[in-house]
Amino acid sequence: MNCNKAEKLFLRAHDGLLSEEETRELEKHIDSCLLCQKSRAEYQNIFDVLQKTDFPEPKPYFWERLRPRLNEQKTFEPWQVWKQWGLRAIPLSLLLVLFLASAILILGPQPREEFSQSGVLLFEDQSPLQATETVLDQEGVEDKNMMLIFASLEEQPGSRRPLP
Amino acid sequence: MDEKDLVQKSQEGNEEAYGVLVETYKTKVFNMAYSLTLNREVADDLAQEVFVKAYYALPKFKGKAAFSTWLHQITVNHTKDYLRKSSRMRLVPFEETKGGLSTRGDEAEKRDREEELAQTKKIVHEAIATLPEKYRVILSLRDIQGFPYEEISHVLNISPGTVDSRLHRARKMLKTKIIPFLEKEGGRR
Repeated sequence: MNCNKAEKLFLRAHDGLLSEEETRELEKHIDSCLLCQKSRAEYQNIFDVLQKTDFPEPKPYFWERLRPRLNEQKTFEPWQVWKQWGLRAIPLSLLLVLFLASAILILGPQPREEFSQSGVLLFEDQSPLQATETVLDQEGVEDKNMMLIFASLEEQPGSRRPLP
Repeated sequence: MDEKDLVQKSQEGNEEAYGVLVETYKTKVFNMAYSLTLNREVADDLAQEVFVKAYYALPKFKGKAAFSTWLHQITVNHTKDYLRKSSRMRLVPFEETKGGLSTRGDEAEKRDREEELAQTKKIVHEAIATLPEKYRVILSLRDIQGFPYEEISHVLNISPGTVDSRLHRARKMLKTKIIPFLEKEGGRR
């Protein structure tokens, strides 16, 4: 047995956790080891001191002082209620607002898409060529040109002609 | 009325029943707080707070462990919280309790022995105060208050094997810290 194991064993022996065989082994080692004898005496000294710790008494009227403190906690305190529930409600409200906002974005009315004139004609099940045919049916060249100009302006309402 | 009935009545809000439990356990709770803080005022205040806390936590007590174990758990945790928050442990000087020490009589030898013991106590307790919290707590439970391994294991919520190894380390650390002081003290005499 080495000194480390002996130290572990005599500390366990102090707690009454050693078997008879372990105790015999330990005693055999300690009888032949001056270092362990010294170490055990030092530990014993420490244990004696710790066991002799003087505990003062609690201050008088312990229960009498405690009782009002129990009732203090029972009284209704709005700040305590707010602290308990209100503070917890903040993250919950934020989550709720986030949920509602996303629901409105997803399920809310979609903006109407604006179609070009030919698009409108297509969705109304009319042939886009019908307007062209009307232009082509014009006999006068000037009338045709004027109608083509107006038709192109209607197609691109915001665009401007490039400057020469 | 046995303890189980007292606990049940206290859970229903019966203050008289709780008062009996307080009288039974106040010294143990106070001693536990005192062994970790070494200050009577602070230990008394902590003990009061522990009983208030326990009173309001009673509805959650299911009776799986003994009431005393549950109460000791609250005490250790509450005192640890106090030590962490205040960090006063190292600033609070060890209060010598003179109750057990006789200063009367003219037996100089006896007085010397008592002075030496008081000095050793001071050194040991100040050394404990410098240990990491988990070692301080386990030394207090086992070597100062004499709790059995099994109860320490329940109070600290650790396995008996961990109790064994942590206690061994704590004792070694304490001895390493105080032996130089004790040898110095011994050398002076």
